[in-house]
Amino acid sequence: VTESVTILMVEDDEGHARLIEKNIRRAGVSNDLKAFVNGTEVLEFLFGPDGQGTAAKRNSYLVLLDLNLPDMSGTDILAKIKANEHLKCVPVVVLTTTDDEKEIQRCYDLGCNVYITKPVNYENFADAIRQLGLFFSVIKVPATE
Amino acid sequence: VSPQRRSFSLSPLMLLIIGFAILVAIGIASGMLVNQARTTSLWVTHTLAVERQIGELLLALRRAESNERGYLITEDPAYLTDYRASATKIIPELNSLQALVVDNPKQMDRLAQMRPLIERRLDDLRKAASLRQTNRVDEANQIVRRTESREYMDAIVRLAHEMTADEVGLYQARDQHAHKLYTLLFITTAVGGVLIVLLGGLAIVLVRRSTRELKSAQDSLLATNENLEAIVEARSRDLIDANEEIQRFAYIVSHDLRSPLVNIMGFTSELEALRNDIFQEMAELRRDRGEAGTEKPEEEDTEVELGSEFDEAIAFIKSSITKMDRLISAVLRLSREGRREFAPELIDMKALVQDLTSTVAHQMQEGDSEITVGDLPPLYSDRLAIEQVFSNLIDNALKYLKPGVPGEITINGQETPLHVVYQVSDNGRGIEEKDHKRVFELFRRSGQQDRPGEGIGLAHVQALVRRLGGQLQLESTLGGGSTFTIRLTKLWSPRRQGSEV
Repeated sequence: VTESVTILMVEDDEGHARLIEKNIRRAGVSNDLKAFVNGTEVLEFLFGPDGQGTAAKRNSYLVLLDLNLPDMSGTDILAKIKANEHLKCVPVVVLTTTDDEKEIQRCYDLGCNVYITKPVNYENFADAIRQLGLFFSVIKVPATE
Repeated sequence: VSPQRRSFSLSPLMLLIIGFAILVAIGIASGMLVNQARTTSLWVTHTLAVERQIGELLLALRRAESNERGYLITEDPAYLTDYRASATKIIPELNSLQALVVDNPKQMDRLAQMRPLIERRLDDLRKAASLRQTNRVDEANQIVRRTESREYMDAIVRLAHEMTADEVGLYQARDQHAHKLYTLLFITTAVGGVLIVLLGGLAIVLVRRSTRELKSAQDSLLATNENLEAIVEARSRDLIDANEEIQRFAYIVSHDLRSPLVNIMGFTSELEALRNDIFQEMAELRRDRGEAGTEKPEEEDTEVELGSEFDEAIAFIKSSITKMDRLISAVLRLSREGRREFAPELIDMKALVQDLTSTVAHQMQEGDSEITVGDLPPLYSDRLAIEQVFSNLIDNALKYLKPGVPGEITINGQETPLHVVYQVSDNGRGIEEKDHKRVFELFRRSGQQDRPGEGIGLAHVQALVRRLGGQLQLESTLGGGSTFTIRLTKLWSPRRQGSEV
């Protein structure tokens, strides 16, 4: 994983955020990780003050996205990112409790790169994050233009 | 039907009966009156006949008398011939008269007086005529001159007049009676006619009123019918909305419950990992101290005890979470199933059930069970739903065997014009009567809890059968096996189903 890639974790549940971070670190991923607790904040961060996404050009990001957020639906965020020409190359990993097939299909249709269900079973959870670490290592995260 | 309405519908019939009765009465009265009138007019004719007969008799007498005198005066034998002709008529005329008045004692009385007078008078005439024939003119004139002979004639005429007067009196009485009868007949007919006209009018009014009521009732029925469609539409819309609401609710609740569960499980596992670290730390500490000198075996015991308690607590938490996760998953699955759009197709039920039985071959072997599939009528419905229904029922039958008894499961079906009925019967442990309702409830189970399961299968089956517009029935006794009867419409088509959430 390119050292410069910053992981943007959008997760309103603090416990989940903590568990995800712990497991990411355990998987040997040491990238910067920024946590957001709602959709508005992460969109502001990504799209920048001009709202065009040009501010994100200089950095490489990877978004870890929960679908159930207090202010907006994760799919809306996904759609917005993938609709922006500067941000559409940012890999988005949806990490959520929903295992509804329709929802999964919708996320892939919107352009999500990986969809991971948070299992209640912790070992499976840890496994899923570990695989995510593997995923980080095999994909080359492009710098946003 | 209200009693008021019934009285309305009865009234025309009553009127008809009354009208008919009046007609019959008029008929009878008219008949009687006509008959009487006929009798009366017969009597009138009779009276006239008597009068005429009296006239004939008197005429015959007069003619006999005048012809005899003509002969006495002129000696013309033509008068004699006429006299004889007239004289011979008199007695038959008298007899005829008697025959006519034989029913009237008064007249008979008079006739009885008259007859000897006539006979004597005839006798006189005959004597005078025969004397003249033998030229004994004086003797003949003697007889004519005799005053008593004329008196006889006067008496006869007087009696005849009396008789005539009597007959005229009778005639008037009879005529009056006839007139009265005709008047009565007219009045009866007129009154009856008026009554019938009145009844007819009343009947028309009543019929019109009841027709009007019928019409308004029909109108309101029509309106209700039209309304009913709208009401049914609205109700089913409400029902669909409510169903969707429940599905959404179940989905959201189960989904949102899962989120904290991830945390609980995650941090419990973290705790478990920490516990190992802590106990390792403690052991190390103890070892350090042990190396320092004093060995304390009680401490080690306490530590082991603490450790096992810790493990117990963690194990309970984890198993509870796992269970809760299973329950939530089940609710989620059910709610998802409830939102799935059904796609009806023609299903070869026998093939479907046979396919299902082949997938449970392993379980069949385990319980030494046998499944017999009868002739199952085909069905037009959602394949997946039907598969789930039968797979759940067959699973249950294989799962809850009577201990020590090889399972015998039969699946049968019948066809009615609109429905198909399938039965899944087993010889398993059965379900107590008091639990017949309970087993269809979510998470509820019955009997000995020695088999894994969440109590979802039958609830699922029930929900599916209901969604397919069918009914599910259970017949079972504890220890006596169970029969599940599924009744479905042969041609099921989804009305409006829940829209996607």
